Amino acid sequence: MGAIRTVDLPSGPDGEQRTTEMTNLEWSLQFVKLKIQEMIFNGRKTDQCGVILFGSEETSNIINEKNGGYDHVSEYIPISQPNAGTLSKIDALRPSEVSGDPIDALIVGIETQAQYLASKKSWTRKIVMVTDGENSIEVEDWEATVQKMNILTISLTIIGVDFDDEELPFEEENKSTIKRANEEFYHTIISALQNGVCGTCALALRETTRPDMKQTKSTLMGSILRLGDTDSRSDEAIEIIVKTSKCTALTRPKSWKKFSVRQSLGDDEEMDVEEEQKIAFAQLKMRSEYFVDRRDHDEDEDGGIKMEEDESILDEAEKEEKQKVKEEQFEKVEKEQLVRGFKYGTTYAPCPDGQFPRLQTKKGIDICGFFPTKNFRRELSLGEVQYVWADPSSPPQQVALSSIIQAMYEKGVMAIARWVTKDGMDPKMGVLSPVLFDEVDCLLWVQMPFADDIRKYTFASLDNLVSRKGEVITEHAYLPTQEQLDAMENFVDAMDLMEAGDKDEECNRATWYDTLLSYNPAVHRTKQALFHCAVVSDVSTNPLPPPHPELLKYLEPPRRVIKRARDATEECKSTMKIRQVPKKVAKARKDGHVHATDEDEDFLLLDRKQPISPARAQIHITQAPPTSPSKRKAPTINPDDSETEEEDEEEMLLDKPMVPPLDARNSHPLPTPARSLSPQVDPGRAPGRIIGSTYPLADFKKNLAQGDLVTKAVEDLGAVITEIVMRPFSSRRSKELLDCMAALRDTCLKEDEVDAWNAFLVNLQEYCMADMGNAEFWSQVKDIGPPLSPISDEEASRYC
Amino acid sequence: MPPYDDWNKIEEEEDEELQDDSFLESKKDVILFCIDCSESMLELYDDPNYEESVPTCHLYTALEAAMQIEKRKILVGPNDSVGILLFNTTRKAEVNRKQGSEIKKNTFLFQPISALGAPMMQELIQLLDAAREDPNELRTTIPPLTGKRVAISDVITSCNWVLRDGAPKTATKRVFLITNEDNPNPGPGSWQLMTSARTTLIDLAQSGVTIEPFFISTTEKPFDVTKFYSSVLLPSNIGDEDDSDEADPSVLPESISISRIEDLLSQMRFHEVPKRAQFSVPFEFAQGLTIGVKGYGLVTEQKKGAYRYFVDLGDRMEVATARTVYIDEDRQVEVDKSKMLYGMSVGETAATADSDEDDGSGVGTRIVKAGQRPFYTADDIKSFRTLGLEPGIKLLGFKNRDQLRFEDNIKHSQFIYPDEMAYSGSRRTFSALLKTMIKKKKIALVRTLTRRNAQPMFCALLPQEEKADEGGWIDPAGFHLIPLPYADDIRSAPIEKGLRASDKLKDAARAWIDKLSVKNGAYPPDSYPNPALAYHNAQLQASAFREQYDPESFEDLTEPKADMIHKRAGNLMQAWKVALVNDDSADMVSVPPVTGSKRKADVSVDEAEIRSKYETGTLGKLRVDQLKDFLKSKSQPVSGKKADLIERVAEWLDAH
Repeated sequence: MGAIRTVDLPSGPDGEQRTTEMTNLEWSLQFVKLKIQEMIFNGRKTDQCGVILFGSEETSNIINEKNGGYDHVSEYIPISQPNAGTLSKIDALRPSEVSGDPIDALIVGIETQAQYLASKKSWTRKIVMVTDGENSIEVEDWEATVQKMNILTISLTIIGVDFDDEELPFEEENKSTIKRANEEFYHTIISALQNGVCGTCALALRETTRPDMKQTKSTLMGSILRLGDTDSRSDEAIEIIVKTSKCTALTRPKSWKKFSVRQSLGDDEEMDVEEEQKIAFAQLKMRSEYFVDRRDHDEDEDGGIKMEEDESILDEAEKEEKQKVKEEQFEKVEKEQLVRGFKYGTTYAPCPDGQFPRLQTKKGIDICGFFPTKNFRRELSLGEVQYVWADPSSPPQQVALSSIIQAMYEKGVMAIARWVTKDGMDPKMGVLSPVLFDEVDCLLWVQMPFADDIRKYTFASLDNLVSRKGEVITEHAYLPTQEQLDAMENFVDAMDLMEAGDKDEECNRATWYDTLLSYNPAVHRTKQALFHCAVVSDVSTNPLPPPHPELLKYLEPPRRVIKRARDATEECKSTMKIRQVPKKVAKARKDGHVHATDEDEDFLLLDRKQPISPARAQIHITQAPPTSPSKRKAPTINPDDSETEEEDEEEMLLDKPMVPPLDARNSHPLPTPARSLSPQVDPGRAPGRIIGSTYPLADFKKNLAQGDLVTKAVEDLGAVITEIVMRPFSSRRSKELLDCMAALRDTCLKEDEVDAWNAFLVNLQEYCMADMGNAEFWSQVKDIGPPLSPISDEEASRYC
Repeated sequence: MPPYDDWNKIEEEEDEELQDDSFLESKKDVILFCIDCSESMLELYDDPNYEESVPTCHLYTALEAAMQIEKRKILVGPNDSVGILLFNTTRKAEVNRKQGSEIKKNTFLFQPISALGAPMMQELIQLLDAAREDPNELRTTIPPLTGKRVAISDVITSCNWVLRDGAPKTATKRVFLITNEDNPNPGPGSWQLMTSARTTLIDLAQSGVTIEPFFISTTEKPFDVTKFYSSVLLPSNIGDEDDSDEADPSVLPESISISRIEDLLSQMRFHEVPKRAQFSVPFEFAQGLTIGVKGYGLVTEQKKGAYRYFVDLGDRMEVATARTVYIDEDRQVEVDKSKMLYGMSVGETAATADSDEDDGSGVGTRIVKAGQRPFYTADDIKSFRTLGLEPGIKLLGFKNRDQLRFEDNIKHSQFIYPDEMAYSGSRRTFSALLKTMIKKKKIALVRTLTRRNAQPMFCALLPQEEKADEGGWIDPAGFHLIPLPYADDIRSAPIEKGLRASDKLKDAARAWIDKLSVKNGAYPPDSYPNPALAYHNAQLQASAFREQYDPESFEDLTEPKADMIHKRAGNLMQAWKVALVNDDSADMVSVPPVTGSKRKADVSVDEAEIRSKYETGTLGKLRVDQLKDFLKSKSQPVSGKKADLIERVAEWLDAH
């Protein structure tokens, strides 16, 4: 197991192949640790494990103690519920030079397990053997061992390093004779066992990442289905005892714990100096603190734009000082001093209990009426779905509910119902839909919106365009032509999934995509990552392996469908003539109301002569050129002056010579850890970004004016600035970038994005000060001082 | 959803899904009501809402609508600001009123733009009450300008000034213009006035203000937009009216409401919340075929606001700001967010491990060699969640409409609409897809990532045709984006077997279901205001107004109409109950499912026996497990001591 092997790592940020070296032992122990980690993760008291080594220097096992023999087999970790200590013990294992007999180890394992489980007969027994198959095995008498295992119903899994495997597939070249013989022997054992598998380690490692479903048994909650007035007209009113359980329930990714490097190891430090240098990561705890602003509000509401005195760039001493300034104005208050209440606009409405008296309600599901299923509006369904069953212990109730369900089903209606989960709980409205399973009938409930939950936004009609003269327009760039409709129809037909799935026994293709087979990538990838970092000691040299293929299977359309739709797609592309609209440059404002910094705009205009937009030729969607502001200055009233494609195209042609030669260095955006799987190339504005690198400030301002996505705009501008700073020759854009930063800070301050600004600044500093960074730019930032400094809470508060 | 977003910041990025909308809600919204007070607006007529003759006027209705909107605003957006500007009035501002700059003549700032509070609301309510008492009150308080009208350009300029002084720069700013005059500036020079009105409107739009006109039309005085407004008003796209095709000058602006005065409030309701996109992403049909779409939340659960903590500062109550800090507990040091790393919990059990004498690290720490890092950065964990995908919608293919099942639901839907600003041609492509899918009765399967730190999801795109309903509301054309559950979210049915009804019994049930079905009905969200929320808000308002709240005055509209049910189907329901008692199943004894070998001896007592014990007052003779069994079978709680159980059993028997 001491042999060194080369292990493939996920490709690096630039797609380069990366590998690392480790011993076979380290490699195969990853499997052991992942398995143990899963037990730790599930945290069940009934999930226990122990570790027995064979080929260890020392010998310590129960059989040896009693009868001798069984050398070089030792019980390393006694059977118990595993914890983080178990993992670190496993980490301490090193390859040895001695050899131990796997069958000896197996017998020790069976014995140790049997002794531990002497009084726990119902426990499931499993043995997992991890080996490289190079040990010599005493093959006589193995049948007795197998028999014993079958009696005890032990399942055996043999994980072999570089065993041949058809499933993966894998075949080892230059396999040693002894290994070949051993592999064969292992397979013989497995086939003799009632319950055994033998597999190669690489596959086993991959399979640990296979998304597995945690089967959650929903508890049955008691409730009452009612119709009519059960209090005063009980002769007529209906009451059925029902049980409810969840049909869908949102699963969220597991949460991450927060850690940070502990600055010094404190008292233990001296001891450590002699050994290797170590660092400790401490888990962080959350604590809430409350602050109150004692200053009078009107005092300097407007003066807030003025900068705080000297809070230049982060520095430990200054930071402390900042803290002090903050604390002077912001007083920390203890939770005990606080009273609960609500805000009614600017008015305080006391409410010491945290809630007003609740509406009196009575537990149960009240039917309000029925309506035809075809009128059900699917898009109104609000959340998780619930089953409603008749009481499984009461035949009359079952028959009663069944008769209602069947009648509803036959008539094709759903019921409107009001559900109160517990006396005094807030009622919910929803619908009940009848379902007939093979052997039982039930209702499905889904919550529907209250009047308060519906937003009635108005949208312009897609079909009815009316001219200013009040006439209906039938031909317009917004309205698809017959040709376009035909192209779309072909496309929809070609992209049909109804018969695009796998073939069944009768060679009929099933529908592609099934909710029951779609695994949540976020949940499973996060879990994989959590486990990975728990078992490796460094994620940068041993990064997370790629996700299991099961997680990715539905992310792209099936290949044969894409192939089938190729022609239709091309047709659609050519008739629809979609163009990406480049971000417009904000027009210099004529009015004096907005205090926009005019220099910025001027500067931008100058700068535009050297746009840095790369690789236009790669863009599939042709970009229309930025419209020059002068052309649009006078909004035209002429109703016939609707813009047509042709005009755009002409502009395109005219503009073309102005497109600068490609700058090869710029054609790749900076590598980021989160690289896109889907190819979307518009390097000017990276996919998903609303701020481009060509005219960042203009894009930013425009987005703010639109007021749509401020948080996003702030985030993107920050990213773009950092990106440009790190590009070669960015110094010629320094002033523009500094202006961008000023605008960004200003917005962050006013839009409660203070954290975003501060984080951006720290990040920028890191980038600039790194090797190959841009220290020059950072010093420029520092020179400017306060207008680009981190935002203190105190300053921020003036805008709240 | 709750507007108290900054209060909920404890949720960190990893729970991003939860606070999905809150960042949108944090944007401030400013509405300036701009109400015409001319003679014709003050003209009295009988309020059709009352039997006897109660005089009212358009201005009263407009102010009342403004008050209702304010009332709603104060609850859903406590940070939002509202103001009221009146024009065509001779009332002048008192000098001492705090106001940034003077506004044009014959316009009057009734309520300057400010955050809403109880006193401001009460002032308006008092005026309206007074006007109810004395129909001439409004005419005295707000004397109309007689004989002439203010130029609309002056009105708009005043709006602009008022908003400039009162509204934060980055808020969404809107002017609700209410008038019944379709030709405000007739006569000589009208063309010039029209041009200047248009110019001032462009100015207004450039400072980021949208104007939402509400025109009142009556049979005597119909409102004709083409006379004046259609050539003045701009398309409603904020700020970029002269920016793109969106502003195609040949097309009429989308949001002009011409309504009867009675519908004024409901029309305003449609515009009450500013339309904000939750996301704006590319929608990729296939490689190289991409359009732009924006996503909107049309259904979201509206919750009660969270309570906040206040500190008594003597003269006033001040909200305490909460801040969550992360600390290294052993060292008592606060850790900056940018320095945080993420990993697996080290686990509490680590310290109790019997054999870890070799690391003296205590709980919650992990020690590795220098230079190693067994933790991820914030960017890493974000990429785990998104699988490195970029925000966008990716078409996977089409399926039949019936493949979208009732039970495949997990979250509320969103609505997407083309964004011509991102990709020109989006609208026609979107429209073509919509028409084709409606025609072929298809849904689309898509993979979505709506925001950079959201999770990828599979969704069904459900096409919606444009359709007008009776209430003047038009269902917009577009797609509903319905999130589908993952296999991880789906739970299997815990019950697989049950007794089924005979046809006879089913027919008996069918009889009363027939009577209780609304033929062309559907689930009517509008008829069900959330009672718990309304009850909470009513108490909140009373508390803010320092009034006593009378719980008796509250009416819960979601309660089933029991009288109607009994009137229509009472007999049939009774007949069904009789049929049920006579059904064979009534005598059947349930076979308890065999779970494990350790079944206790059957101790159950039947209901009749318990009832007789109850009637003789000897319930106490029953054992606790018998009481519990009984309660369990009635879906009642089984917690508490024996006395509690007896009481509960008695209560149940009492009620039945």
